[in-house]
Amino acid sequence: MTRYAGLTEDLRGKLLARALRIRMVEERIIELYPSDVIQSPVHLSIGQELHTVALASLLTPPGDRIFTTYRSHAAYLASGGDLKLMFAELYGKQTGVSKGKAGSMHLCHPSTGLMGSSAIVGAVYSHAVGAAYADKIAKNGRVVLCITGEGATEEGTFHECLNFTALKGLPLVYIIENNGLAINIPLAKRQSYRLRDLVKAYGISHFHARDSFDMDEVMTLAAEAFAAARDRHAPAVLEIDTYRYKEHVGICCDHDKKYRDPEELEDWRRRDPLINDQGLLSLHQSAIAEEIDAAVLFADRSPYPSLGDLTEDVY
Amino acid sequence: MSSITYREAVTAAMRHAMESRDNTILFGLGVTDHVGIFGTTSGLEEAFGPERVFETPISEDSMTGFALGASLSGLYPIHVHIRADFMLLAMNQLINSIAKYRYMYGGLFEVPMLVRSIIGRSWGQGAQHSQSLQALLAHAPGLHVVMPASAESARATYRYAVESCRGPVISLEHRLLYDYSFNEELSWDPGDNPLSSFLIRPGNDVTIVATSVMVQEAIRAADFIAQREDIGLEIIDMHCITHPDEELILKSVRKTGRLIVVDTSWASFGVCAEVARIVACREPQALKQPIVCLPVAKASCPTAKKLENWFYPDMSDIISAAYSLCPGREGHGRELPSEEYVSQVHKSFRGPF
Repeated sequence: MTRYAGLTEDLRGKLLARALRIRMVEERIIELYPSDVIQSPVHLSIGQELHTVALASLLTPPGDRIFTTYRSHAAYLASGGDLKLMFAELYGKQTGVSKGKAGSMHLCHPSTGLMGSSAIVGAVYSHAVGAAYADKIAKNGRVVLCITGEGATEEGTFHECLNFTALKGLPLVYIIENNGLAINIPLAKRQSYRLRDLVKAYGISHFHARDSFDMDEVMTLAAEAFAAARDRHAPAVLEIDTYRYKEHVGICCDHDKKYRDPEELEDWRRRDPLINDQGLLSLHQSAIAEEIDAAVLFADRSPYPSLGDLTEDVY
Repeated sequence: MSSITYREAVTAAMRHAMESRDNTILFGLGVTDHVGIFGTTSGLEEAFGPERVFETPISEDSMTGFALGASLSGLYPIHVHIRADFMLLAMNQLINSIAKYRYMYGGLFEVPMLVRSIIGRSWGQGAQHSQSLQALLAHAPGLHVVMPASAESARATYRYAVESCRGPVISLEHRLLYDYSFNEELSWDPGDNPLSSFLIRPGNDVTIVATSVMVQEAIRAADFIAQREDIGLEIIDMHCITHPDEELILKSVRKTGRLIVVDTSWASFGVCAEVARIVACREPQALKQPIVCLPVAKASCPTAKKLENWFYPDMSDIISAAYSLCPGREGHGRELPSEEYVSQVHKSFRGPF
């Protein structure tokens, strides 16, 4: 097993606590959801938290920036997004990070480097390319991360962006969270290509972390990719095999449906430190729960948007 | 009085945009080749370097998203499409991302940028190389869509877009305008917001609201009529079709009671429909006669010259419409311009493409 030298026991503990916080936030969303206080679709990150906090720990916000997709809760919190503003946003309140206009699918937090979350699959690749171009010509040593699922790589824009990224040599790392599913459709029914081969055709490095729970593996590969991007403007794709515990959208499990194997879920759960690390849970659970209570209370007590907000911020 | 062509004005505006702000980048397919977008970007790569002025792959969608990411990072992108038709490949980014970025995130982001694209008829450009897509672009809130109809308008609009506007501006330049000459004097106050509509010519009898090269057709029509009839056409250049000066249009219709809308595109859901909506919803009683719409024909643009001439409205259609709206004035010959006279502008254009 690879060990990442920078991942001290102290840091490992902190990262696990951050991942646990994301898990507990989403579990609270699951509890709240049937009460209809959150009136919009939610795409939960449960199962995919660990690698996200590991990646974010290698960034220096807000200079290093992230663009991601509608499954944005983990990236929002991992990058340092404010929890109260997040719950207020999910509640559709005026105090939300985007005044309630964005909701769960479009979380952003520019002050900590999260520059947007698009519900259009693949649309963010090119945004990240533009941001990385600006960093390149500013020669500022920053890196841009674009985090999407493996399904988004099926969009034509992925090809266009790999081409331009390689052509210009941009400080950009594409993080491809491969959970094997696009909505409810398995990868084998969607992709004729191997991502590694596709990426290499553009002369872009492909790194593959085969277990998103292995923070040493994720951070070893990410650190190498980020350093190459920062120092040499050498872009990379970091593919991370991960697992979506819940359905594509919503709060339920879908392992009772034919297309998923309940045994697979059990395999991941058995290895999941956010379930099994009793020391971690006892150390952090109550403090995190209190923080979530306060954020939910803030959202609950916040005012709804006014009619005047409806057409504000239109050009 | 010295004159300036539209091409010269756009060229000057591009150089000004590069000179006045170090953060301006200019890109698009053909911006550095020997044609240089009809000369409007020629020499800029040499002057400002390949990091600020560069070619793109044929990837309209991604290069449009690229502009958004660059804009979010403090650059001012100018993205040029030598054919507006190719912007259809970028509609996802224009409508789903760029138009929404400020609003959807509650005002946390601004995405200033300029997208130039060239539209227009002549020399058999056909169905996929001549479309005027202003209505599609203007439908979703969040963009400024402009159609500069003169050298002065292009210069003032681009200067304002680059220096003052915090949002995305999408411009449609008509290729027939490129060699038109205009008065060089810039009558615009730099403080004025040119993202609006302009009164081009006062008149008492018929209001013409026109876009792009149709403003020139309207001026030709007004000149023609003025030499023959006592009918005054008041011409309004709608210019910023997403943010028209509704008061200017209504004030004119209140005076004339007659309205012709002439546009470079289709009527349904387009400029003709929008101007008619503004008047019908706000002051229908101002109209003495039904509105006359002069759009292009409800067909894709044909390549055959004979058909293309019928496809587009021209000065002759405007003159006929003005006459039909002003009946009962005796003693006039009601002369229409010859076909040769009407089409001389379009015949003289043979490229470059």
